[in-house]
Amino acid sequence: MVIGIKNASKLIGISVIACCAVLVCTMFLNFYFDIRLIEGKITSELSMFFYNAQVSTAKVVCLVSGGCLLLTAIVMLLFYIKHYIDTHKKELGILKALGYSNLKIAKDFWVFGISTFIGTVIGYAGAFLLMPWFYTLQNKDKMLPEITINYHPSILLYFVILPTVCFSVLSVYYACYKLKKPVLLLLKDNLQTASKTPKHRIEKGRELSFVEDLRRSTLKTKKTLVFFIIFASFCFSAMTQMSFSMKDLSSEMMGVMMLVIGLVLAFTTLFLAITTVINGNTKTIAMMRVFGYSQKECCRAILGGYRPMSYVGFAIGTVYQYGLLRLTVDIIFKDFEGIPAYEFDFPVMIISLVAFIAIYEILMYVYSEKIKKISIKEIMIE
Amino acid sequence: MIEARDIIKSYGNGESRFQVLKDISLDIEDHDFVVILGASGSGKSTFLNVISGLERPDSGKVLYDGKDITALSDHELTSFRKKSVGFIFQQYYLLPNMSVDKNVKMGADLADNKDYKTIIGAVGLGEKRHKYPSELSGGEQQRVSVARALAKRPRVLFLDEPTGALDEQTGRQVLDYICKLQKEYGFTIVMVTHNLNIAEMAHTVIKMNSGKISEIYTNETQKTAYEIGW
Ligand SMILES: Nc1ncnc2c1ncn2[C@@H]1O[C@H](COP(=O)(O)OP(=O)(O)O)[C@@H](O)[C@H]1O
Ligand SMILES: [Mg+2]
Repeated sequence: MVIGIKNASKLIGISVIACCAVLVCTMFLNFYFDIRLIEGKITSELSMFFYNAQVSTAKVVCLVSGGCLLLTAIVMLLFYIKHYIDTHKKELGILKALGYSNLKIAKDFWVFGISTFIGTVIGYAGAFLLMPWFYTLQNKDKMLPEITINYHPSILLYFVILPTVCFSVLSVYYACYKLKKPVLLLLKDNLQTASKTPKHRIEKGRELSFVEDLRRSTLKTKKTLVFFIIFASFCFSAMTQMSFSMKDLSSEMMGVMMLVIGLVLAFTTLFLAITTVINGNTKTIAMMRVFGYSQKECCRAILGGYRPMSYVGFAIGTVYQYGLLRLTVDIIFKDFEGIPAYEFDFPVMIISLVAFIAIYEILMYVYSEKIKKISIKEIMIE
Repeated sequence: MIEARDIIKSYGNGESRFQVLKDISLDIEDHDFVVILGASGSGKSTFLNVISGLERPDSGKVLYDGKDITALSDHELTSFRKKSVGFIFQQYYLLPNMSVDKNVKMGADLADNKDYKTIIGAVGLGEKRHKYPSELSGGEQQRVSVARALAKRPRVLFLDEPTGALDEQTGRQVLDYICKLQKEYGFTIVMVTHNLNIAEMAHTVIKMNSGKISEIYTNETQKTAYEIGW
């Protein structure tokens, strides 16, 4: 067995995302199935409007949040597997050299699916715990007849069994694909070659300082991490701002729920991304410290590049939540009275931006202390 | 001049506490070529790390021209390393995602040295400036790390088993480059090795044995990298 449960435990990010996705989707889909059952009982036209609005909301929420989170979880899984293979190249290369086939090695990667299973099960169970409260909330003005909670086995299939199986299969398949390299390439320390950077580009233009150069190459070599940083700030920005609007549009509890999900997602992703960046650059940081680069310069070179990216994510999140709410209010609730007119909430944006900057800088400070502790001794012993 | 005074350093706690450096005192003259010789585990690397400002001793002083570096704050110590010392290790520790050029620039930037391409030429890698470490042989990688260390124009160059991972021919070549460059730039060399032959290249030889200095002697004549045995 090449990889154990311990490695899979590092995929907690996927578990968290899967949990959030399944929690939200199960609640809304179950609600959707149950509300469909009472369609026949609706008499008044107003109730019908309300019913249609509820059905559309459930669909949109399921698709948007489910789809978004599913994509993120897949990217994260693939990233992890690639990262795992990259950091364990030597062991895997030796196994291959000994004559293990790709498939035989890759088979062990199914344990990566466990993280999905844990996440989805927790999300699924959580959804059923929250459901009575959620149903009451959705029908708090008694616009619709009583909606009873029914158990739909298909949801368990869609949101727990299927994702687990798919993620396990995907892990094995992707690992197999990634292992299809000559043994020597796996055994060799680093695969970077000059051909990737054409010479004329190096010669051109003014020369960058080493720290600036390193900042750029850190960004370039791990593009997935850039995605995660953008995603984290996107989640933070979209979910915090949306949760404030939700308070007015729907209910306070919906707002809080959204806020919590947003924060959990943002922090898990950010935490994972930055930890990976630092772990992946321990040697570089240690060498910079040996040579006399200050802690500040190390931080700027290794972490500095992600700051602008996080603002990009924040901006996308702002636009996204505005667009989504505009669409929801204009299309789904358009015939519905009592929903307040939706306008872009500037003060909320500012508050959430300030909070974001504060939290981001605090995190960076914490990590810069971690960078300070890295010493040459650690990498020499290894 | 570097003066080490009563250096003591231990590792571990309680039962497993182990004294690696047992009260070492020693002077190193400027521009000298010093080799620290000793068996594996005798504490050579630890001593090198202490006198170069990478690690702090439990007690004792390390004076550079009378200034005690063990009394410096972390920040001051970093800035001391930036200004005064260069390092070469057995594992080259090059930055894998950066070309030879950029690796050397890592050292050069610290001394505001714009002329770092000369030093790449001086270690015979002018043609391979744009290659990445993974495309170079072990000897070439070590030469890059020599260039990187010297590009920051250190007063003292510390080397920990620089040829430990190299074969005879490339090992000799690397040592030869280091000697030639010392004549040109005039830095002090403090080199750790377990290879008796390499000691013949040094002016001062310090023998270490289980955390203590057992012998210090100077060579009348220094051999070149191609004259010593291997
Ligand atoms: N960080 C450390 N923690 C515990 N023991 C260490 C540490 N570094 C070195 N040692 C021990 O100190 C002794 C001397 O190590 P070192 O200075 O590396 O010797 P040398 O370079 O002469 O081979 C060894 O027994 C080693 O195990
Ligand atoms: Mg050693």
